[in-house]
Amino acid sequence: MARFHNRKKKVFVKPIVKKNQQQQSNVDHITGNKIPKSFVFSRGKLPGPLRQLQMDLRKLMLPYTALNLKEKKRNNLKDFLNVAGPMGVTHFLILSKTETSPFLRVAKTPQGPTLTFKIHEYSLAVDIAQSQLRPRCPQDLFKNPPLIVLSGFATGDEHLKLTTTMFKNIFPDIDINTVKLSSCQRIVLLNYNKDTKLIDFRHYSIRLQPVGVSRRIRKFVQNHQVPDLRNLQDVSDFVTKAGYGSESEADEEAATVTLTSDLSRVNRASTKSAVKLQEIGPRMTLQLTKIEGGLCSGEIMFSEYGNGGDKRKADSEEGNGKEDGENDDEMEDSEEDNEGEDNEENIEESDED
Amino acid sequence: MQMGKKKDKALNESESTIDMKPMIHENAQFFDKLVELIPARFYLPDEKDKPWFQGLSKAEKASAKKQSRENIKKARRDRLDPEKSTKTTLDLLKENLEKEKSNMDSDGEEKEIEVRPIMSDLDGGEERSVTYEELRGSLRSKIEELRGSRNIPSSDKGKKRKNERNDKKGNLQKKQKSDGVVEEKKIDSINDEHNVEKDIVEEAANKLIFSRVKLGDNEDKREDSKKESTKSELLAKHSWKSAMDRAAGIKVHDNPKLLKQSIQKEKKRHQKNAEKWHERVETMKKLKAEKQQKRSENIADKIHQKKMLRIAKREKKLLRPGFEGRKGST
Repeated sequence: MARFHNRKKKVFVKPIVKKNQQQQSNVDHITGNKIPKSFVFSRGKLPGPLRQLQMDLRKLMLPYTALNLKEKKRNNLKDFLNVAGPMGVTHFLILSKTETSPFLRVAKTPQGPTLTFKIHEYSLAVDIAQSQLRPRCPQDLFKNPPLIVLSGFATGDEHLKLTTTMFKNIFPDIDINTVKLSSCQRIVLLNYNKDTKLIDFRHYSIRLQPVGVSRRIRKFVQNHQVPDLRNLQDVSDFVTKAGYGSESEADEEAATVTLTSDLSRVNRASTKSAVKLQEIGPRMTLQLTKIEGGLCSGEIMFSEYGNGGDKRKADSEEGNGKEDGENDDEMEDSEEDNEGEDNEENIEESDED
Repeated sequence: MQMGKKKDKALNESESTIDMKPMIHENAQFFDKLVELIPARFYLPDEKDKPWFQGLSKAEKASAKKQSRENIKKARRDRLDPEKSTKTTLDLLKENLEKEKSNMDSDGEEKEIEVRPIMSDLDGGEERSVTYEELRGSLRSKIEELRGSRNIPSSDKGKKRKNERNDKKGNLQKKQKSDGVVEEKKIDSINDEHNVEKDIVEEAANKLIFSRVKLGDNEDKREDSKKESTKSELLAKHSWKSAMDRAAGIKVHDNPKLLKQSIQKEKKRHQKNAEKWHERVETMKKLKAEKQQKRSENIADKIHQKKMLRIAKREKKLLRPGFEGRKGST
């Protein structure tokens, strides 16, 4: 009797164990330092747009943050602190809203300093995507932490120095020897304007585009779409057609880099590529109002409006009572500040004549 | 020869050609203007002895060169100095002619020729002096104005500031204000204080700071802090330092309460450990004692059993039925 082979090949399917939580290491095995992790949450009830802003901030801080953090009304800051210890969370980003404006507090967990920023203006990620012609969100955009660039902070004031240190340490370190270029896909930019004392917060995605290749060929190679050759006599027409360069190609001289390694099929090593930034994610205008020595407590080391003493934001859900008092004083002092600035401006203008 | 012909014509036809004179005057003016355009050293014969440097010794050559350089400088200064009236080619020509006239016997022709250049010269000269006067006067008035309204600390700083400001703003302003060079200097010297601060701040603000990058030896080295005199300064400095360190991830053990807590924790832990050790030692002892006791019991038991066996053996003999040797039976 012939052997009947079982032609139906049973492929051994390994049962997929879905790891619901990424195994996140506390220590970066490349640099050896502790990876900073963060919680983004809110104190008090936030209106719709601010909740979306909170979500955007969470996405920004990926992958080292809790994306689906659920907070209950009765949670205090202390509860978060207790959870943060074992999980290795180092930073808290706390959003809150008062009658004047929303506030963002950036704090370092165990006992660290707290920077309080007043959000003057903000735009959500969806708004920005809607305003763009071709919004871009590749799949693994949020798999790697972003880079951070701070500009205008180097003037040497103590509070600015502290701000730079805080922001630099919210994101993990970069080891330039071992970092993979393909993992640097996002960039956060903070720009300090010393005249208005406002910090612009922007979040971009980085894209590399080969330079020196005509647009049609580039698009063909990237999109794999067969081009329309109806109107052409010969393929050589397609390849050698001198098209208009796009606007942005003109000013690319400063922004081109020579890659050291192959990044993808189109961006090859030792060819010039242009670095293109496209904005994603929230856009904010912040003003540093307060620096406290402790985690939302402790002595006030710096205050924009010069109020020393114990005008602290209450840690309960509605800290509105005290906030109003603080706001009144803030208004007075800000008016004085504005007057001072105007005088200086007048002097400067007349001198220039 | 031509001039002679003209002269004859004028003499012969003096009555019918009165209107020739203005024409001739015009022509003469035209030629004068042309002559004026030519620099004197090309037009007039060179009267001075040409400097002859060849045969001189080194020192003499050096001094001669120096002399010539100084002459050049002097000539340039004289040329550009508005106060000294420059001698145009015409003036020099006129002088030359006068000299010739004084040397040689002259004809009447040359007198007339002299007259015309003199006339045109006078007109030109007057105009020129007027314009110079006007310019100087206006400049002076402007200077006085500015001097009255502003206070000028120094002018050296002004120059420095001027250079920097011009670099920053481009040279457009400078080119447009070609008249008011002095004005600019005055303005800049006032702003020196503002500008020093501004420049430093601008340069600093333009620097970019990036993500924390790991290089070979990373750990930031702490600076040595000098001892400040006042307590509040010390406190402030300490609080800033600790905040910076905490933000950078370095642990700062600051809080006395927490430190006390941790000391107590440590103490309690130590206590507990000591207790546990004691317990262990106790149980060990107990166990040991138990075991030993049990062992000794067992050994005693064994010996006892052995004895009993012997007795039983002995008794067995006596328990035989019909045995008569037993002591207690009879």
